[in-house]
Amino acid sequence: MAVRREKAERLADEELMPLVGRKDPEAFEVLYDRHGGAAYSLAYRIVGDRAAAEEVTQEAFISVWRSGARFDATRGSVRSWLLSVVRNRAIDFLRSRAGKAPKLTFDDDAVLEARPAAERTEDEALQRETAAEIQGALGKLPGEQSKVIELAYFGGFSHSEIARILGLPMGTVKGRMRLGLEKIRGELAEGLA
Amino acid sequence: MNASDHNRWSEDLAAYMLGALERDEAAEFERHLEGCERCREERRWLEPAVQTLPEAVERQEPPRQLREALMAEVHDDVREAQARPAAARSRRWLLKPAVGFAVVALLVAGVVGYEVGNDGSGGGGASTLERDIGPLSVKMVQDGDSGTLQLSGVHQLPPDKVLEAWVERDGQVEAVPALFVPDRNGQAETRIADMDGVEVVMVTEEPQGGSDQPTGEPIMTMAVPQ
Repeated sequence: MAVRREKAERLADEELMPLVGRKDPEAFEVLYDRHGGAAYSLAYRIVGDRAAAEEVTQEAFISVWRSGARFDATRGSVRSWLLSVVRNRAIDFLRSRAGKAPKLTFDDDAVLEARPAAERTEDEALQRETAAEIQGALGKLPGEQSKVIELAYFGGFSHSEIARILGLPMGTVKGRMRLGLEKIRGELAEGLA
Repeated sequence: MNASDHNRWSEDLAAYMLGALERDEAAEFERHLEGCERCREERRWLEPAVQTLPEAVERQEPPRQLREALMAEVHDDVREAQARPAAARSRRWLLKPAVGFAVVALLVAGVVGYEVGNDGSGGGGASTLERDIGPLSVKMVQDGDSGTLQLSGVHQLPPDKVLEAWVERDGQVEAVPALFVPDRNGQAETRIADMDGVEVVMVTEEPQGGSDQPTGEPIMTMAVPQ
Protein backbone atom coordinates (compact mmCIF):
# COMPACT_ATOMS: atom_id res chain seq x y z
CA MET A 1 0.00 0.00 0.00
CA ALA A 2 1.30 3.48 -0.83
CA VAL A 3 2.31 5.71 2.05
CA ARG A 4 0.54 9.01 2.44
CA ARG A 5 2.31 12.06 1.12
CA GLU A 6 2.67 13.60 4.60
CA LYS A 7 4.33 10.48 5.91
CA ALA A 8 6.63 10.20 2.90
CA GLU A 9 7.75 13.78 3.41
CA ARG A 10 8.97 12.94 6.88
CA LEU A 11 11.15 10.09 5.66
CA ALA A 12 14.84 10.41 4.83
CA ASP A 13 15.89 9.70 1.26
CA GLU A 14 17.38 6.38 2.31
CA GLU A 15 14.02 5.40 3.81
CA LEU A 16 12.15 6.45 0.69
CA MET A 17 14.20 4.25 -1.61
CA PRO A 18 12.76 0.89 -0.52
CA LEU A 19 9.28 2.37 -0.97
CA VAL A 20 10.19 3.54 -4.46
CA GLY A 21 11.47 0.03 -5.12
CA ARG A 22 8.01 -1.23 -4.19
CA LYS A 23 6.49 1.20 -6.69
CA ASP A 24 5.08 3.70 -4.27
CA PRO A 25 4.18 6.82 -6.28
CA GLU A 26 3.96 9.08 -3.22
CA ALA A 27 7.49 8.18 -2.16
CA PHE A 28 8.71 8.73 -5.71
CA GLU A 29 6.98 12.10 -5.91
CA VAL A 30 8.67 13.25 -2.72
CA LEU A 31 12.00 12.10 -4.11
CA TYR A 32 11.40 14.12 -7.26
CA ASP A 33 10.30 17.19 -5.31
CA ARG A 34 13.49 17.05 -3.27
CA HIS A 35 15.94 16.47 -6.09
CA GLY A 36 14.17 17.24 -9.36
CA GLY A 37 15.42 20.84 -9.38
CA ALA A 38 19.06 19.83 -8.97
CA ALA A 39 18.60 17.05 -11.52
CA TYR A 40 17.07 19.35 -14.12
CA SER A 41 19.72 22.01 -13.48
CA LEU A 42 22.49 19.46 -13.99
CA ALA A 43 20.87 18.10 -17.14
CA TYR A 44 20.49 21.64 -18.49
CA ARG A 45 24.12 22.43 -17.64
CA ILE A 46 25.24 19.43 -19.67
CA VAL A 47 22.90 19.40 -22.66
CA GLY A 48 22.42 23.16 -22.93
CA ASP A 49 18.74 23.43 -23.86
CA ARG A 50 15.55 23.19 -21.90
CA ALA A 51 13.64 20.66 -23.98
CA ALA A 52 16.56 18.24 -23.97
CA ALA A 53 17.15 18.79 -20.24
CA GLU A 54 13.49 17.98 -19.61
CA GLU A 55 13.77 14.80 -21.65
CA VAL A 56 16.96 13.69 -19.93
CA THR A 57 15.59 14.39 -16.44
CA GLN A 58 12.37 12.53 -17.14
CA GLU A 59 14.24 9.54 -18.59
CA ALA A 60 16.57 9.42 -15.61
CA PHE A 61 13.79 9.51 -13.03
CA ILE A 62 11.70 6.99 -14.95
CA SER A 63 14.70 4.64 -15.13
CA VAL A 64 15.03 4.92 -11.35
CA TRP A 65 11.32 4.23 -10.94
CA ARG A 66 11.21 1.29 -13.33
CA SER A 67 14.47 -0.36 -12.39
CA GLY A 68 13.29 -0.91 -8.85
CA ALA A 69 15.48 1.92 -7.59
CA ARG A 70 18.74 -0.01 -7.42
CA PHE A 71 20.43 2.24 -4.91
CA ASP A 72 23.57 1.15 -3.11
CA ALA A 73 23.92 3.13 0.12
CA THR A 74 27.59 2.18 0.39
CA ARG A 75 28.39 4.28 -2.68
CA GLY A 76 27.09 7.61 -1.38
CA SER A 77 23.90 9.51 -0.74
CA VAL A 78 20.65 9.08 -2.65
CA ARG A 79 21.05 12.57 -4.04
CA SER A 80 24.57 11.90 -5.36
CA TRP A 81 23.40 8.65 -6.87
CA LEU A 82 20.40 10.27 -8.55
CA LEU A 83 22.56 13.05 -9.94
CA SER A 84 25.04 10.51 -11.28
CA VAL A 85 22.18 8.76 -13.09
CA VAL A 86 21.13 12.11 -14.57
CA ARG A 87 24.71 12.93 -15.53
CA ASN A 88 25.15 9.60 -17.32
CA ARG A 89 21.88 10.03 -19.22
CA ALA A 90 22.82 13.56 -20.21
CA ILE A 91 26.26 12.52 -21.46
CA ASP A 92 24.67 9.67 -23.44
CA PHE A 93 22.25 12.22 -24.92
CA LEU A 94 25.13 14.51 -25.91
CA ARG A 95 26.96 11.65 -27.55
CA SER A 96 23.94 10.46 -29.47
CA ARG A 97 23.19 14.02 -30.61
CA ALA A 98 26.78 14.44 -31.76
CA GLY A 99 26.48 11.19 -33.69
CA LYS A 100 28.92 9.45 -31.43
CA ALA A 101 28.62 5.84 -30.51
CA PRO A 102 27.89 5.15 -26.86
CA LYS A 103 30.98 4.80 -24.69
CA LEU A 104 30.54 1.04 -24.67
CA THR A 105 31.83 0.88 -28.21
CA PHE A 106 33.45 4.28 -28.37
CA ASP A 107 36.29 4.58 -30.82
CA ASP A 108 37.68 8.10 -30.79
CA ASP A 109 39.78 7.76 -33.88
CA ALA A 110 36.83 6.63 -35.99
CA VAL A 111 34.63 9.40 -34.64
CA LEU A 112 37.27 12.06 -35.05
CA GLU A 113 38.13 11.03 -38.57
CA ALA A 114 34.49 11.09 -39.57
CA ARG A 115 34.07 14.80 -38.82
CA PRO A 116 35.83 17.99 -39.87
CA ALA A 117 38.61 19.16 -37.57
CA ALA A 118 36.85 22.40 -36.65
CA GLU A 119 33.78 20.52 -35.56
CA ARG A 120 35.65 18.02 -33.49
CA THR A 121 37.70 20.36 -31.33
CA GLU A 122 37.05 23.80 -29.92
CA ASP A 123 33.54 24.28 -31.30
CA GLU A 124 32.24 21.11 -29.79
CA ALA A 125 33.99 21.81 -26.53
CA LEU A 126 32.54 25.32 -26.39
CA GLN A 127 29.07 24.12 -27.24
CA ARG A 128 29.17 21.77 -24.30
CA GLU A 129 30.93 24.18 -22.03
CA THR A 130 28.86 27.34 -22.32
CA ALA A 131 25.54 26.05 -21.05
CA ALA A 132 26.05 27.86 -17.75
CA GLU A 133 28.59 29.78 -15.71
CA ILE A 134 31.01 28.00 -13.45
CA GLN A 135 29.81 28.40 -9.92
CA GLY A 136 30.74 27.56 -6.36
CA ALA A 137 33.91 25.68 -5.66
CA LEU A 138 34.66 25.19 -9.34
CA GLY A 139 34.72 28.94 -9.84
CA LYS A 140 37.58 29.33 -7.40
CA LEU A 141 39.88 27.05 -9.34
CA PRO A 142 42.57 28.27 -11.71
CA GLY A 143 41.09 28.27 -15.21
CA GLU A 144 43.38 25.52 -16.46
CA GLN A 145 42.11 23.16 -13.76
CA SER A 146 38.42 24.04 -13.96
CA LYS A 147 38.54 23.64 -17.74
CA VAL A 148 39.70 20.02 -17.71
CA ILE A 149 37.25 19.15 -14.93
CA GLU A 150 34.38 20.76 -16.79
CA LEU A 151 35.22 19.07 -20.07
CA ALA A 152 35.32 15.71 -18.33
CA TYR A 153 32.39 15.96 -15.95
CA PHE A 154 30.00 18.22 -17.86
CA GLY A 155 31.22 17.50 -21.39
CA GLY A 156 31.74 13.76 -21.12
CA PHE A 157 35.13 13.95 -22.80
CA SER A 158 37.80 11.39 -21.96
CA HIS A 159 41.23 12.53 -20.81
CA SER A 160 42.69 11.68 -24.21
CA GLU A 161 40.02 13.74 -26.02
CA ILE A 162 40.65 16.64 -23.67
CA ALA A 163 44.37 16.38 -24.33
CA ARG A 164 43.65 16.63 -28.07
CA ILE A 165 41.20 19.50 -27.66
CA LEU A 166 43.54 21.56 -25.50
CA GLY A 167 46.75 20.44 -27.18
CA LEU A 168 48.22 19.17 -23.93
CA PRO A 169 50.02 15.97 -22.95
CA MET A 170 47.67 13.46 -21.34
CA GLY A 171 49.74 13.47 -18.16
CA THR A 172 49.19 17.22 -17.85
CA VAL A 173 45.45 16.80 -18.26
CA LYS A 174 45.31 14.11 -15.59
CA GLY A 175 47.52 16.17 -13.30
CA ARG A 176 45.27 19.21 -13.63
CA MET A 177 42.22 17.10 -12.90
CA ARG A 178 43.87 15.84 -9.76
CA LEU A 179 45.03 19.26 -8.60
CA GLY A 180 41.59 20.70 -9.26
CA LEU A 181 39.76 18.04 -7.28
CA GLU A 182 42.25 18.35 -4.43
CA LYS A 183 41.71 22.08 -4.35
CA ILE A 184 37.93 21.71 -4.25
CA ARG A 185 38.30 19.13 -1.51
CA GLY A 186 40.54 21.45 0.42
CA GLU A 187 37.96 24.24 0.15
CA LEU A 188 35.28 21.90 1.43
CA ALA A 189 37.45 20.79 4.34
CA GLU A 190 38.18 24.42 5.26
CA GLY A 191 34.50 25.19 5.09
CA LEU A 192 33.82 22.45 7.60
CA ALA A 193 36.63 23.48 9.94
CA MET B 1 53.18 -2.66 -4.05
CA ASN B 2 55.93 -0.06 -3.95
CA ALA B 3 55.49 3.69 -3.90
CA SER B 4 56.23 4.21 -7.58
CA ASP B 5 53.57 1.65 -8.55
CA HIS B 6 51.05 3.46 -6.43
CA ASN B 7 52.04 6.85 -7.82
CA ARG B 8 51.57 5.62 -11.37
CA TRP B 9 48.00 4.54 -10.63
CA SER B 10 47.30 7.48 -8.41
CA GLU B 11 47.73 9.75 -11.44
CA ASP B 12 44.62 8.15 -12.95
CA LEU B 13 42.42 8.50 -9.89
CA ALA B 14 40.94 11.92 -10.64
CA ALA B 15 40.29 11.03 -14.29
CA TYR B 16 38.59 7.84 -13.14
CA MET B 17 36.39 9.69 -10.67
CA LEU B 18 35.41 12.22 -13.33
CA GLY B 19 34.44 9.45 -15.75
CA ALA B 20 37.28 10.47 -18.06
CA LEU B 21 39.07 7.13 -18.40
CA GLU B 22 38.26 4.93 -21.38
CA ARG B 23 36.35 1.79 -20.57
CA ASP B 24 39.38 -0.51 -20.58
CA GLU B 25 41.43 1.94 -18.55
CA ALA B 26 38.62 2.26 -16.00
CA ALA B 27 38.32 -1.51 -15.69
CA GLU B 28 42.08 -1.83 -15.20
CA PHE B 29 42.06 0.95 -12.65
CA GLU B 30 39.26 -0.74 -10.71
CA ARG B 31 41.24 -3.95 -10.55
CA HIS B 32 44.09 -1.98 -9.05
CA LEU B 33 41.73 -0.18 -6.68
CA GLU B 34 40.58 -3.44 -5.17
CA GLY B 35 44.07 -4.19 -3.96
CA CYS B 36 45.27 -0.71 -3.09
CA GLU B 37 44.08 0.72 0.20
CA ARG B 38 45.94 3.99 -0.42
CA CYS B 39 44.04 4.60 -3.66
CA ARG B 40 40.76 3.70 -1.97
CA GLU B 41 41.56 6.13 0.81
CA GLU B 42 42.38 8.87 -1.69
CA ARG B 43 39.15 8.15 -3.51
CA ARG B 44 37.18 8.47 -0.26
CA TRP B 45 38.91 11.76 0.42
CA LEU B 46 38.23 13.18 -3.05
CA GLU B 47 34.68 11.84 -3.42
CA PRO B 48 33.02 14.91 -1.84
CA ALA B 49 34.80 17.11 -4.40
CA VAL B 50 33.24 15.18 -7.27
CA GLN B 51 29.87 15.23 -5.56
CA THR B 52 30.13 19.01 -5.35
CA LEU B 53 30.29 19.38 -9.13
CA PRO B 54 26.59 18.81 -9.92
CA GLU B 55 25.68 21.04 -6.99
CA ALA B 56 27.81 23.86 -8.38
CA VAL B 57 25.75 24.42 -11.52
CA GLU B 58 23.50 27.43 -11.85
CA ARG B 59 20.07 26.54 -10.54
CA GLN B 60 17.30 26.25 -13.14
CA GLU B 61 13.64 25.97 -12.33
CA PRO B 62 12.29 22.75 -13.83
CA PRO B 63 9.16 23.28 -15.91
CA ARG B 64 5.90 22.32 -14.22
CA GLN B 65 5.01 20.01 -17.10
CA LEU B 66 8.09 17.89 -16.35
CA ARG B 67 6.72 16.94 -12.95
CA GLU B 68 3.25 16.42 -14.40
CA ALA B 69 4.49 14.22 -17.25
CA LEU B 70 6.71 12.22 -14.93
CA MET B 71 4.00 11.54 -12.39
CA ALA B 72 1.48 10.76 -15.15
CA GLU B 73 3.86 8.08 -16.42
CA VAL B 74 4.37 6.75 -12.90
CA HIS B 75 0.62 6.56 -12.24
CA ASP B 76 0.11 4.88 -15.64
CA ASP B 77 2.64 2.23 -14.60
CA VAL B 78 0.86 1.69 -11.30
CA ARG B 79 -2.54 1.37 -12.99
CA GLU B 80 -1.08 -1.00 -15.58
CA ALA B 81 0.50 -3.16 -12.89
CA GLN B 82 -2.74 -3.31 -10.93
CA ALA B 83 -4.65 -4.32 -14.05
CA ARG B 84 -2.30 -7.17 -14.90
CA PRO B 85 -2.62 -10.65 -13.49
CA ALA B 86 0.08 -11.31 -10.91
CA ALA B 87 1.88 -13.85 -13.06
CA ALA B 88 2.35 -11.32 -15.83
CA ARG B 89 3.55 -8.43 -13.68
CA SER B 90 7.16 -8.89 -14.50
CA ARG B 91 6.35 -8.25 -18.13
CA ARG B 92 6.67 -4.56 -17.57
CA TRP B 93 8.87 -3.65 -20.43
CA LEU B 94 7.54 -5.21 -23.56
CA LEU B 95 9.95 -4.31 -26.27
CA LYS B 96 9.96 -4.08 -30.00
CA PRO B 97 9.72 -7.43 -31.76
CA ALA B 98 12.83 -6.51 -33.74
CA VAL B 99 14.90 -6.68 -30.57
CA GLY B 100 13.63 -10.16 -29.94
CA PHE B 101 14.54 -11.24 -33.43
CA ALA B 102 18.03 -9.87 -32.93
CA VAL B 103 18.41 -11.99 -29.81
CA VAL B 104 17.25 -15.08 -31.63
CA ALA B 105 19.68 -14.35 -34.46
CA LEU B 106 22.54 -14.09 -31.98
CA LEU B 107 21.41 -17.28 -30.45
CA VAL B 108 21.42 -19.16 -33.72
CA ALA B 109 24.90 -17.87 -34.42
CA GLY B 110 26.34 -18.48 -30.99
CA VAL B 111 24.76 -21.37 -29.17
CA VAL B 112 26.55 -24.65 -29.23
CA GLY B 113 25.01 -26.80 -26.51
CA TYR B 114 24.06 -27.19 -22.92
CA GLU B 115 24.65 -29.32 -19.96
CA VAL B 116 21.32 -29.93 -18.36
CA GLY B 117 21.04 -31.45 -14.92
CA ASN B 118 18.65 -31.63 -12.03
CA ASP B 119 18.79 -32.06 -8.31
CA GLY B 120 17.84 -35.69 -8.49
CA SER B 121 14.78 -35.23 -6.37
CA GLY B 122 12.32 -36.16 -9.06
CA GLY B 123 9.62 -34.03 -10.71
CA GLY B 124 9.39 -30.41 -9.73
CA GLY B 125 12.99 -30.08 -8.46
CA ALA B 126 15.58 -27.53 -9.54
CA SER B 127 17.20 -27.92 -12.94
CA THR B 128 20.52 -26.49 -13.97
CA LEU B 129 21.90 -25.33 -17.29
CA GLU B 130 25.60 -24.66 -17.61
CA ARG B 131 27.56 -23.18 -20.49
CA ASP B 132 30.87 -21.53 -21.21
CA ILE B 133 30.39 -18.46 -23.38
CA GLY B 134 33.73 -16.93 -24.30
CA PRO B 135 35.38 -15.96 -21.01
CA LEU B 136 32.14 -16.42 -19.09
CA SER B 137 30.86 -19.46 -17.26
CA VAL B 138 27.10 -19.29 -17.09
CA LYS B 139 24.88 -21.28 -14.78
CA MET B 140 21.10 -21.02 -14.82
CA VAL B 141 19.35 -22.69 -11.92
CA GLN B 142 15.63 -22.97 -12.42
CA ASP B 143 13.42 -23.88 -9.49
CA GLY B 144 9.72 -23.88 -10.19
CA ASP B 145 8.68 -20.58 -11.74
CA SER B 146 11.78 -18.69 -10.72
CA GLY B 147 15.42 -18.93 -11.69
CA THR B 148 18.86 -17.70 -10.72
CA LEU B 149 21.41 -16.69 -13.30
CA GLN B 150 25.01 -17.03 -12.11
CA LEU B 151 27.90 -15.65 -14.13
CA SER B 152 31.62 -16.19 -13.51
CA GLY B 153 34.51 -14.47 -15.22
CA VAL B 154 32.70 -11.16 -15.67
CA HIS B 155 34.97 -8.17 -16.29
CA GLN B 156 34.86 -5.29 -13.83
CA LEU B 157 32.41 -2.58 -14.86
CA PRO B 158 33.04 1.16 -14.96
CA PRO B 159 31.26 2.88 -12.04
CA ASP B 160 28.51 4.22 -14.29
CA LYS B 161 27.54 0.80 -15.65
CA VAL B 162 25.49 -2.12 -14.38
CA LEU B 163 24.47 -5.49 -15.72
CA GLU B 164 20.87 -5.94 -16.78
CA ALA B 165 19.28 -9.27 -17.61
CA TRP B 166 16.57 -9.72 -20.23
CA VAL B 167 14.25 -12.59 -20.99
CA GLU B 168 12.46 -13.41 -24.19
CA ARG B 169 9.11 -15.15 -24.28
CA ASP B 170 6.43 -15.16 -26.93
CA GLY B 171 8.78 -13.21 -29.18
CA GLN B 172 8.96 -10.29 -26.73
CA VAL B 173 12.01 -9.16 -24.78
CA GLU B 174 11.43 -8.01 -21.19
CA ALA B 175 13.80 -6.48 -18.68
CA VAL B 176 14.46 -8.32 -15.44
CA PRO B 177 13.82 -5.66 -12.78
CA ALA B 178 16.85 -6.22 -10.53
CA LEU B 179 20.10 -4.79 -11.87
CA PHE B 180 23.36 -6.37 -10.76
CA VAL B 181 27.12 -5.94 -10.77
CA PRO B 182 30.01 -8.40 -10.53
CA ASP B 183 31.88 -8.76 -7.26
CA ARG B 184 35.65 -8.40 -7.08
CA ASN B 185 36.07 -12.02 -8.19
CA GLY B 186 34.05 -11.49 -11.34
CA GLN B 187 31.02 -13.36 -10.01
CA ALA B 188 27.58 -11.90 -10.72
CA GLU B 189 24.15 -13.21 -9.94
CA THR B 190 20.58 -12.15 -10.51
CA ARG B 191 17.21 -13.67 -9.81
CA ILE B 192 14.55 -14.04 -12.48
CA ALA B 193 11.24 -14.16 -10.64
CA ASP B 194 9.09 -15.40 -13.50
CA MET B 195 10.65 -18.05 -15.74
CA ASP B 196 7.32 -19.20 -17.12
CA GLY B 197 7.63 -19.47 -20.91
CA VAL B 198 11.12 -17.93 -21.03
CA GLU B 199 12.89 -19.05 -24.18
CA VAL B 200 16.08 -16.98 -24.02
CA VAL B 201 18.02 -15.20 -21.27
CA MET B 202 20.41 -12.42 -22.18
CA VAL B 203 22.63 -9.99 -20.24
CA THR B 204 23.86 -6.59 -21.38
CA GLU B 205 25.88 -3.80 -19.85
CA GLU B 206 23.69 -0.75 -19.31
CA PRO B 207 24.00 2.74 -17.82
CA GLN B 208 23.46 3.04 -14.09
CA GLY B 209 19.74 2.90 -13.38
CA GLY B 210 19.22 0.40 -16.17
CA SER B 211 17.52 0.78 -19.54
CA ASP B 212 14.04 0.11 -20.86
CA GLN B 213 15.51 -1.87 -23.72
CA PRO B 214 18.96 -3.30 -24.40
CA THR B 215 21.42 -0.66 -25.59
CA GLY B 216 24.65 -2.65 -25.56
CA GLU B 217 25.86 -5.84 -27.14
CA PRO B 218 24.91 -8.85 -25.03
CA ILE B 219 27.75 -10.28 -22.96
CA MET B 220 25.84 -13.59 -23.05
CA THR B 221 22.71 -15.16 -24.47
CA MET B 222 21.41 -18.55 -23.44
CA ALA B 223 18.46 -20.50 -24.74
CA VAL B 224 16.24 -22.17 -22.17
CA PRO B 225 14.94 -25.55 -23.34
CA GLN B 226 11.15 -25.78 -23.05
